[in-house]
Amino acid sequence: MTTILNLRNSPAQVASVTLNDEIESAARILPEQGPINVFVFENTLQALEHLPFHEALLQGADRFGHQPYLPENFYRHELKRGRIRIEKLRQVLLDELRTDADKMVDGLTTRLELRLAMLQYQLLQGPAAELNWYMAETDALKGVSPETSGANRLLLISETRRWMMRELRGPTAPDWAVQLIKRFGGSTVESWPEAKWEAFALEALWSVCLDGVQHLPAYCARKPRTIRHAELLRQATGTDADLPVNEILTRFTGAFLDQGLSRWSLPDRQKGFFRSFLHLYSQQAGMLAIPELSAECRRLLANNITPLDSAAESLRMLGVGDEERPEFLTQTLLPLRGWASMLRQIEQRGDRVPLPAPGGSLVEFVAVRLLLDRLSVAATANELGYHVPLDKLRCVIRDRMAPDRDFLPAARAFVVFQLAQVLGWVPARLAALTPTDWETLVREIEAFTATDRERVFHKAYERRFMRQSLDALTAHQPSPPTPVVSFQAVFCIDAREESFRRHLEEVCPSVQTLGAAGFFGVPIYYKGATDAHFATLCPIVVQPRHWVIEEAVPEQERTHRQRATARWLWGRTSHLFHIAGRSTVPGAVLSACVGPLAILPMMSRVLFPRWTARIAHLAGRFAGPPPTRLRLERTHPEPGPHGSHVGFTVEEMAGIGERMLRDIGLVGRLSRLVLFLGHGSECLNNPHESAYHCGACSGSPGGPNARALAMMLNDKRVRTLLAGRGVLIPDTTHFVGGLHNTATDEITLFDLSRVPVGHASDLSAATKALDEARGRNAHERCRRFHSAPLDLTAAQALRHVEGRAQDMAQTRPEYGNASNAMCIVGRRERTRGLYLDRRSFMHSYDPSTDDADGTILGRILGAVVLVCKGINLQYFFSALDSRGWGAGTKLPHNVTSLLGVMDGAASDLRTGLPWQGVELHEPIRLLMAIETTPEVMRRIMARNEAIRRLIVNGWVQLALLDPESSQILIFIDGDFTHYEPQAKTLPSAASSADWYRGWREHLEFARIGTGA
Amino acid sequence: MMDPETWLSALGIIALVAPAVLVLILGTLAVFDAPPSERMTTRIVQTLIGTSLLALIGATGLLLGMDLPRLSIKLVDWVSLERVHYHFAVKIVLDHLSLPFALLSLVLCVTIGSFATRYMHRDPGFFRFFLLYSVFVLGMVTASLADTIETLFFGWELVGLSSALLIGFFQDRPAPARNGLWVWIVYRVADAALLLAAVVMHHMTGEGDFDHLLGEEAWPMGVTNLDEYQALFVGVLLLIAAAGKSALIPFSGWLPRAMEGPTPSSAVFYGALSVHLGAFLLLRMSPLLNASLPLAMLTVILGLATVALSSLSASVQTDIKSALAYSSLAQVGLIVAEIGLGFRWLPLVHLVGHASLRTLQFLRAPTLLQDYHRLENAVGGRLSGPISGLIPARAQAWLYRFALERGSLDVILWQKVVRPITSAFEALDRLDRRWSNLSEPEALATVANTQEEEDRT
Repeated sequence: MTTILNLRNSPAQVASVTLNDEIESAARILPEQGPINVFVFENTLQALEHLPFHEALLQGADRFGHQPYLPENFYRHELKRGRIRIEKLRQVLLDELRTDADKMVDGLTTRLELRLAMLQYQLLQGPAAELNWYMAETDALKGVSPETSGANRLLLISETRRWMMRELRGPTAPDWAVQLIKRFGGSTVESWPEAKWEAFALEALWSVCLDGVQHLPAYCARKPRTIRHAELLRQATGTDADLPVNEILTRFTGAFLDQGLSRWSLPDRQKGFFRSFLHLYSQQAGMLAIPELSAECRRLLANNITPLDSAAESLRMLGVGDEERPEFLTQTLLPLRGWASMLRQIEQRGDRVPLPAPGGSLVEFVAVRLLLDRLSVAATANELGYHVPLDKLRCVIRDRMAPDRDFLPAARAFVVFQLAQVLGWVPARLAALTPTDWETLVREIEAFTATDRERVFHKAYERRFMRQSLDALTAHQPSPPTPVVSFQAVFCIDAREESFRRHLEEVCPSVQTLGAAGFFGVPIYYKGATDAHFATLCPIVVQPRHWVIEEAVPEQERTHRQRATARWLWGRTSHLFHIAGRSTVPGAVLSACVGPLAILPMMSRVLFPRWTARIAHLAGRFAGPPPTRLRLERTHPEPGPHGSHVGFTVEEMAGIGERMLRDIGLVGRLSRLVLFLGHGSECLNNPHESAYHCGACSGSPGGPNARALAMMLNDKRVRTLLAGRGVLIPDTTHFVGGLHNTATDEITLFDLSRVPVGHASDLSAATKALDEARGRNAHERCRRFHSAPLDLTAAQALRHVEGRAQDMAQTRPEYGNASNAMCIVGRRERTRGLYLDRRSFMHSYDPSTDDADGTILGRILGAVVLVCKGINLQYFFSALDSRGWGAGTKLPHNVTSLLGVMDGAASDLRTGLPWQGVELHEPIRLLMAIETTPEVMRRIMARNEAIRRLIVNGWVQLALLDPESSQILIFIDGDFTHYEPQAKTLPSAASSADWYRGWREHLEFARIGTGA
Repeated sequence: MMDPETWLSALGIIALVAPAVLVLILGTLAVFDAPPSERMTTRIVQTLIGTSLLALIGATGLLLGMDLPRLSIKLVDWVSLERVHYHFAVKIVLDHLSLPFALLSLVLCVTIGSFATRYMHRDPGFFRFFLLYSVFVLGMVTASLADTIETLFFGWELVGLSSALLIGFFQDRPAPARNGLWVWIVYRVADAALLLAAVVMHHMTGEGDFDHLLGEEAWPMGVTNLDEYQALFVGVLLLIAAAGKSALIPFSGWLPRAMEGPTPSSAVFYGALSVHLGAFLLLRMSPLLNASLPLAMLTVILGLATVALSSLSASVQTDIKSALAYSSLAQVGLIVAEIGLGFRWLPLVHLVGHASLRTLQFLRAPTLLQDYHRLENAVGGRLSGPISGLIPARAQAWLYRFALERGSLDVILWQKVVRPITSAFEALDRLDRRWSNLSEPEALATVANTQEEEDRT
């Protein structure tokens, strides 16, 4: 009886609380990526944002086993191409080494020069066999390496010649020299040709190097200790005990999380992950790859063991001690990190999916994983002949593993040998080094590891872009404000809109364009007239409090209902076909009767995508909704998704309108026509479609937000309220919302029937300008598509992008935000007429309208920094190591559980972006260029911890544009320093097309237009 | 002026030679490591496959116009030993079975070829894909037009080879290689059975020509001149071959594994053509089924068992490619059962219809999320999915487990067939090494050490 009373505080229970916490905290490292159909851009290493950027990269790369940087060869190629400059490398090294840069190494060279040489020249390294082959079969010992300068070659030859003539022929000569001279025919030394001397010098150098490093020990860096049993077994024997575990767990987790792909869903799902697993796998329904599993499941079920107790039991049986437990649990999550993280996402954000998972599912997942791990490892070890208890297994494997034989003196000597040639260290000089000197030299070389080199390269790579763009911003003369503004167009900050705005300004010099986060300050749950569900239209960090629905205009209500019925019928029928196609008997009838006809739509879709799409579009027009309007105004005090709860009060509308107009500095400057253009992307056959939509709308199109804002600002009552707050909207101003389709460059404007008659001519002028601009924009985009010829006209380019979007076989309907690198927050006058190559996010902000605390700027940055950082870093990591951080190539992707994609038949869920979406992205951190003063920026950073942390830890780079002059300050190591531009002038071209025509690669920034 | 029959022969030969030329061109370029540009590759591939298709369309028109039931064209007499009545010949046949199947293959190959041109754009393996693809096309055309069992075997092999290599197309991950190897091994078993059948046929009749073996009458009217037991024996071998190629029980586990390759090859191979090749073989050999009732019954049982397993499995798969793979398999099983029941035209129509429908579904697989979204919008709510209501509650967990683990076929094959064989080989290997060590005097001393080492590992 006493046991029951004590249970409350029993050690076992305390232990399971700790274990629960340990699993939860281990799970924090998992990538934060939710369901694929609402793609949210986030920093892949969000969990490490409290660390400085480069440190976090190393830690993350270590943890996940991915690359921290691009491969060294890539950077070296960029160095050859001129994308990275030697001066930048030197500068980065100087910054990193500071006073140590001039430290001499054995009197041979400085640390700086040594490291620079190691960056500049590719030092071959390899296993013993490769090295032997290289020395024997190539000219490495006959002629100096091609990188060696002529002067160093002559120096090497003449010095060695002198050394040999004077010393090596004497009695004190080392053994190798005697043999070498004998082999080269020492008696005829006076008549050796130069080539022979060169070979002799190299042989001598090689021997000296070999001699020098011969007796030095290995200074290997501590390798991370493998603690998972399966991992150790694989290292020792090559047999993978994880394989059957992953197979079973992938299938089961897929079934548990399935949102409706399979026709038969998991029985007993409601019992939770652990219980339903036990129940299912305790069945005697055929053999399993892990034979003991069924019996074990039955035992756990019969004894009613909780997930945490089972996990604790497995850990105990595996012999995992308390101190290594956190690390062990983390490593246990990693083999199926995609599935684990999806489980966690669904558990935490159940509102984003139809079938949420109960709390604690991840803990149960770990319990199951540990159970499977333990059984599989035991079975595998047994099969491999390790007949020891499971908790002793790791010691036994480690004892039997062969010691690390990577280290090889010749490989080490070979590095010195190559460096000696490019740096001009002659053999005589090296031969004079004492063993301590050799140790210093080798340590010095080996301290600059491959990762260090990649880091330096990467910094130089980023700096080059920073310098180019800041130079351009300094050199560019702000354009004078447009005297007469014909209309204003507000776009999303998205980098894709940069080119569109530029072209619009080129087409219509009297236009004024602005940028704002694409939800336009209207965070809503939105349901379109033909939608079944509400979509969340705002950044992921914001939780909407209002609902908006689209409905047919009253006079069309009847048509709307009829068409809805037609759509319902169509939907039911196609769903039936869909189901029938996948089931047996109906499928047989279907294939035998109409199957051969399926060839026709397939051939037309594949061979003539654009025409097929047109016909489908025409047909769809009869089933689409009639003219609609937004239900925007709320009569009930409480917001909600139904009836009178839908919408905003007039007061709330005024608040939203005021904030937006003040944010982008439009107060008092409104023209007769103001367009708000959200954006989205329409494309086919693409599981990652959502990643092309608006990032500020959580991966949905932002048209409804623009439409809602325009309606609010057109409302007389809102205008009256605003006038009372000093925001005067002239009666002559009319707002129109719209949507820019970034795949086809099509522009749709909403509620045109409500445009006053007096504005007709303004509207037609604006549409004409937009029409011209979209052709030009498509043309600029086509330069990036290798399947689009470079000599297209604007009209052909439009046809090309339309065809792309409708092509089932197209894996790159567009390139999204690939190549984004920078974000400018400031007045457009600063950048108007500057070709930014679609690489910059742009938010409008007028510092002259802000107060000394930067209230407006603070709230702009609150959204912009987080959204743009998320996009930038998601691209960054996916491009850095596409197979590791990214989703790899999309060609074998397989939609799973309606939540994500796997590679092929079964794999971990792939997170990140596919290779096809990031292939042209340059992974560099976001450069924020903000038009403000250091004082204001400091105040904002003091107020907003999230922003401060990102900037101080270097996840985004910061530059300030002085509002009064063209000066720029950059933020380095916690301080703002004056930026000294290198180039004083900018290249220029008459139009954007003149600048980019004929080029597929990234382009430098340039001045466009008549001022050129 | 050539007579229509010569025209027909010419067209048939063109249909076969065009893909052979394609393989020759791409293969030569590959050997010299000189892959042409994407545009050039595409042009060569589409021209030659197109030529083959046009020739075949012409041939079909002529054959129908001439009201000819069949035409056999001899290309090469490879081996001919008159005295012992033994010969190997390369022959093709144009009849009501070969033409529809070959036409289906070529139409799908042209369409998917065009799809792949854009789908594979800029992939580092672009040329490799089309090289293997052309090998596949040649294999399909050869197998479907074959008039001797040797010719059929040749095409059959090419299809198997290109399949396995395309499954392992992505060489930077271990899973495709592993699964490609698994499929390759299953194919070897099927090939061995087919080869054995060919040898047995030669042994029985002295040649592998279908017109002698399956009667002079045009398909499906042929009557075999083998007796009942001979037919049963050869038929069982052919059934094993067909089961391997068409993923019937007990080999079904390879079909989802084959989804590792790029989407277009998955579509055309495992949705449409490759997976139906076994059924095609049974159709071609159908006179044997007529001759032996046990054989026909065996075929029906095999087909229906496959239907049962794969319909169950299809309903629990949570990824679209596996779901489609098992749905395909259910149809293939049904087609095989139809053949066993004595139908001839029905399975052929079923096969053609199913292949077309399934290819479209596979190609649209990546668009599943959008499709669901659109359907949900049209219907105005969640699509009803679960069918669990139809299954008695008590059997649910058992059946679901059975279906989720796909009948444990792969585990059974692995533990009951593969493991014993590999263990036996390992034991023989150890024995062999010990023996060879003993035979070398200087190695004698090391034997003790080796022994020790072995004991330790």
